[in-house]
Amino acid sequence: MRESVADQLNEEEEAEINLTPMLDVVFIMLIFFIVTAVFVKEPGVEVNRPTAMTAFTPESGSIFIAVTANNEIWVDRRSVPPEGVRAAIERLHAENPEGGVVIQADNEAYNEFVITVMDAAKAAGITEITLAAAPP
Amino acid sequence: MRKHIASIKHDQDDNEINLTPMLDVVFIMLIFFIVTATFIRETGLDVNRPDQQQAQVVQEEGAILVIIDDTDDIWIDNRIVDPRAVRANIERFHAEDPDRPVVIQTGRTSSAETLVTVMDASRLAGVYNISIASQ
Repeated sequence: MRESVADQLNEEEEAEINLTPMLDVVFIMLIFFIVTAVFVKEPGVEVNRPTAMTAFTPESGSIFIAVTANNEIWVDRRSVPPEGVRAAIERLHAENPEGGVVIQADNEAYNEFVITVMDAAKAAGITEITLAAAPP
Repeated sequence: MRKHIASIKHDQDDNEINLTPMLDVVFIMLIFFIVTATFIRETGLDVNRPDQQQAQVVQEEGAILVIIDDTDDIWIDNRIVDPRAVRANIERFHAEDPDRPVVIQTGRTSSAETLVTVMDASRLAGVYNISIASQ
């Protein structure tokens, strides 16, 4: 009986799964997700996007700026006065120099403020500016 | 000798590092990064906002000028145009001269919806060179 138990234990040890390949795969996935993790700063408000038939997905958009229906400009979960937009964009641009600006303007937002944001983005040195629109 | 080697091997077996805790940590990190990976896919239209001087040059070169006034009326060629007719109007100008860009002049209190409508109409008409100017 005693020997039989020992035998079983021995067999179990031999039948142990080799974890090394799985560990390799898991590490590769881990590195992939760490590298691709772009910590996108969302504006923190929901807007009603206008619809456009020709809307496409831009390659790089990681600085999101929302203009709400009451013409408040939101960046990184805070309401920013129009004069402060440029500084806010410059700060986010320094954190992520590759990303373009996506302006999420509400249907009712005034173009005055949308264009203020565009000019602020241009002044901050970003040429890739996208106006958010939902496909119908 | 043989027995000695066997005993060394046995020793090594016993000294093998237990990978399980590390595996746990790695899995937790993996799950964290998968969960926090926000794949935001915002769709939109690209915007070309020229400098003031550039805008004037473009306008002098004979761009298709679309004016959105403060009350959201769309003016093309000195006529008020229905938002649904913008595409047809731009198509007509585009057919006359395919190189003409579109310049959209927006009023201060016009809505972003109208701006996107005009940009969309222009792209549907085949003019992708769109500049936005403000009054």
